Amino acid sequence: MPPDVLLSVRGLTKRYEGLVALQGVDFDVARGEIFGIIGPNGAGKTTLFSCLTGAVRPTAGEIRLHGERIDGLPPWKIVERGLVRTHQIVRPFREMTVEENVLVGAHFGSVRHRGAEARRAAREVLERAGLYGRERALAGTLTIGESKRLEIARALATRPRVLCLDEVMGGLNPSEIREAMTAVRAIRDAGVTVLLIEHHVHAVIGLSDRVLVLDFGRRIAEGTPSAVVRAPEVVRAYLGLEIDAR
Amino acid sequence: MRGLPRLARILAAGAAALVLLSLAPRFLERGALNDIWNLAFAVVLASSWNLLGGFAGQVSIGYSAFLGIGAYTTALLALAGWEPYLTLPVGAALAAAFSVAVGLPAFRLRGPYFTIATIGVSEAVRVFAAGVQFTGGSSGLRMPAGSFDFGTNYLAMTALAVFVVGLSAWIKGSAFGLALAAIRQDIDAAEAVGVPATRYKLAAHALSAALVAAAGSLFAINFQYIAPGSVFDFRLSLSIVLMPIVGGVGTVAGPVLGAALWSTLQIKMLSIPALRDSYLFLYGGLLIVVMLFEPKGLVGLVKRLVRAAGAGRPREARRAA
Repeated sequence: MPPDVLLSVRGLTKRYEGLVALQGVDFDVARGEIFGIIGPNGAGKTTLFSCLTGAVRPTAGEIRLHGERIDGLPPWKIVERGLVRTHQIVRPFREMTVEENVLVGAHFGSVRHRGAEARRAAREVLERAGLYGRERALAGTLTIGESKRLEIARALATRPRVLCLDEVMGGLNPSEIREAMTAVRAIRDAGVTVLLIEHHVHAVIGLSDRVLVLDFGRRIAEGTPSAVVRAPEVVRAYLGLEIDAR
Repeated sequence: MRGLPRLARILAAGAAALVLLSLAPRFLERGALNDIWNLAFAVVLASSWNLLGGFAGQVSIGYSAFLGIGAYTTALLALAGWEPYLTLPVGAALAAAFSVAVGLPAFRLRGPYFTIATIGVSEAVRVFAAGVQFTGGSSGLRMPAGSFDFGTNYLAMTALAVFVVGLSAWIKGSAFGLALAAIRQDIDAAEAVGVPATRYKLAAHALSAALVAAAGSLFAINFQYIAPGSVFDFRLSLSIVLMPIVGGVGTVAGPVLGAALWSTLQIKMLSIPALRDSYLFLYGGLLIVVMLFEPKGLVGLVKRLVRAAGAGRPREARRAA
């Protein structure tokens, strides 16, 4: 078990009628880690995020952030405690400007900024996301790459301790993926622990300190990226094909 | 003006409007003052509804319930010996409490389901008011005989209207207003960045309910007689929704424009017996036109015209401007 555990999940189970999305999943994430979560389609990755962020109530199990139970809390209270997510399909407030989108996060995060202080915090996040200069644009008019950066900027504006990134690299081209990887490292280096769901296995392997592999809602492997990709269960889960280092 | 902080600008504009409106009785006939009273009444209803229905996007067609609660509270307490104007806070508080009781279950519903629930609740309130003894049943209540002063009521209603519009302008630019806009656009995304959506919907609902109830109290004092058919009327609930939508939903000016149009139409139509009930028909037609051609209402139309005028001007003139 890693030292200095920030997020701890025990026996996390989510059952829908006739379907088990998550079955007794255990894992710990240390402060300052980049923690990758991979698995084939339908493995339960997004359900896991939904349970962590309170969008979905787990059927059983415990989620602790900094030792405090957060399972069963409404989403906004979990954000207040310092855990925030982005969405796989970006969900900007389209009729607001880029700055206003980020201001929502700055006003209602774990640190409640007000007035000029909120605008300063928003500006700082926009600069880090490379969106400064676009702050007056309506969020509905952004390109897909900009929208993804806005999704992350809005989440960062809440001053999270843990940031859950859901497929941020989907739909990006190789050079954009390299930029995104640099950005994720920069977020971690700024003191935010990162959970990463990614279809793009190579990006996860390249970024993560440790990786959790889910299949049919169960944990089938956990460890360093190089150990995990060689685990026989993982190779089998991925259709028996070896994960090649493209 | 531009250099001043937002709050100072709103207060200055509000003070100017109050001075003008309080000077009006010196220059205008009673008939014209009555028209202004009607306009102010409509502005309070439309702008208050807009706090929840426009800013937060939660369309309720049950606001006559709050108007009725204010009116009945005032009439009942006045009959018990209260000074009528002192009953306003009581009616407002009761309406706010009722809005929370309704909102707690109703805000679990989304979109049209929420709207339908509000219709059901307000109709239930009307049937209740008509059916029980202490409200005077369907024959209603008459305020105690006493000296009624239109001048006082006029000042109170216009001041309330100015207050509601000023409050709307302030909320629109505040963190609260930003949160309501986030709720309207994507409630799940709003909660996912920390907006306590249910709490804020309840707060907007309670605030607008209290303001509408205050207008109901002033309505009871002005007309000295209320009945379920007048203050709990479903057509009134409908009008409260129509005004901001025709004017420009979710804006500060829209409900005021919609209220001006509605109060004018209503006065003109009521004076022609054959058209007495058709102002809603006309307004409904207008609603369809607005939704089809300019969903942002009169405010959107004005903006579009201004842009078109700007684009039509010769290049030199634009550069000079």
